[in-house]
Amino acid sequence: MLYAGDFQLTKLEAKNITKYFQHETHRIKALDGINLKVEDGEFVCIVGPSGCGKSTFLRIVSGLDTTEEGEVIFDGKPVNTTSPERILVFQEGALFPWLTVSDNVEFGLKIAGVPKDERREISSRYLDMMQLTKFANSYTYQLSTGMKQRVAIARALAMDPDVLLMDEPFAALDAQTRDLLLVEMQLIWERTKKTIIFVTHNVAEAVVLGTKVVVFSNRPSVVKKEIVIDYRRPRLVEDQNLAKFQQDVMKELRPEVKAGSKNQS
Amino acid sequence: MKIDLDDVANAVLFFAVFIGIWQLVFVLGIWPKVSLPSPYAVAESFAEVILNYTLFTGIGITLGRLVIGFLISIALGTVIGLAMIKFKGFGKTMSSISAGLLSFPSIAWVPFSILLIGFNDAGILFVVIMSSIFSITISTYSSVRNIPPIYIDAARNMGAKGLSLFLHLTIPAATPSLIIGIRQGWSFAWHAIIGAEILMSIVGLGHILSVGREFQDMGLVIASMITIFTIGLLVDRLLLFKLEEKIRSRWGLSSDR
Repeated sequence: MLYAGDFQLTKLEAKNITKYFQHETHRIKALDGINLKVEDGEFVCIVGPSGCGKSTFLRIVSGLDTTEEGEVIFDGKPVNTTSPERILVFQEGALFPWLTVSDNVEFGLKIAGVPKDERREISSRYLDMMQLTKFANSYTYQLSTGMKQRVAIARALAMDPDVLLMDEPFAALDAQTRDLLLVEMQLIWERTKKTIIFVTHNVAEAVVLGTKVVVFSNRPSVVKKEIVIDYRRPRLVEDQNLAKFQQDVMKELRPEVKAGSKNQS
Repeated sequence: MKIDLDDVANAVLFFAVFIGIWQLVFVLGIWPKVSLPSPYAVAESFAEVILNYTLFTGIGITLGRLVIGFLISIALGTVIGLAMIKFKGFGKTMSSISAGLLSFPSIAWVPFSILLIGFNDAGILFVVIMSSIFSITISTYSSVRNIPPIYIDAARNMGAKGLSLFLHLTIPAATPSLIIGIRQGWSFAWHAIIGAEILMSIVGLGHILSVGREFQDMGLVIASMITIFTIGLLVDRLLLFKLEEKIRSRWGLSSDR
């Protein structure tokens, strides 16, 4: 059983991350100095009101976006570009429609020059883990949204990254599929020992998955609160004992959402 | 390939009515015979140019020129299109120029080409290239620019950059819309070659057409026109349209799934 306190090594640290959005003529401050430490093997869930910049934060950590101030330290070194060590799973999956499922999973391996046999072996292992073996030769448009998202996760895992960055990967799924994936995600995390940063707007999801839940404030965002979820796994969404953690998170989140909706109107 | 009997019946009916009306107008004698020959006379002209190999030689020469010119167009057009993406200022200017030149009539290149290059194959190729290359540059430019950024992000994140990003992401992601530009370019090239051959050639389909005019042989003129129509139709329907459909369904874009 893993608890938040078991983690010793800092895998990744965000120091004073500041970021502006360009909105027509004026700049909006989205991130106002995000400070966050992520230990090796931790499962961090980030929640916050919509538009607070949590997805942007994830992109900055991945190296796809840059920051105006502050830096992300990964394994002791500042992040300045993308790396297969930190793989981002997009909300829309971002699978390539011209490739079969297994070719999608093997994309990064092919780029890295891994020989074909080895690629096949790796992709079939992760497709098996995601229960997609039957669909290895299908094209992505032939799959349901839930299956696509599992392919996206398999594709990310096939890269064997140190850190998995997940940007609302279950947002487009129906409730049943999501519940299934919430359990699967916990098993994957326990099996692979990956460090995961998972952005979601769904508090229940965050509490089920996370070793800790990080609440972002309304824009300009700072880390408002980190809540450790000390509870046995695998956790199920319907577990009544998780309600207390959910309430803790909601208590922090609700005023931010309110402030956010006021800003927008 | 599945052939729909209804479609065949419709086509047969259409041509039967068309030839019927033609025959009727011929019988009524509105135009003199030299201006409007009977369908039968046209069939005779057809038989003649087929039997003395003029037609097939003409088709061979015309298609040969067309393929060479069009391949050069694709190669050069793609390079220019990619340069437009690489160099933003050039891209902006060039996309306006290309849009202008896209609607520039192919025949209007002919005098320029004759004076610059001469009455020869190279001159004809020049007209074909200038008429089709801008479809290719514009479609390369817009297809690559319209690749969803999220694909590029995902590929970069998985380690693709430079050449590997180009080969494994840019080309396949742009293919469905590139093929549309290629199809359009082909049709411009086809317009251009016939025009150029009428004015600049001593062989080829366009030349047969102009021989027909010089000898007041309307049968030959109509036979060449039918040939030009048929080749244009076959290449588009059997080759380019099929290719486009195939790519679209492979990319998950076809509407009928």
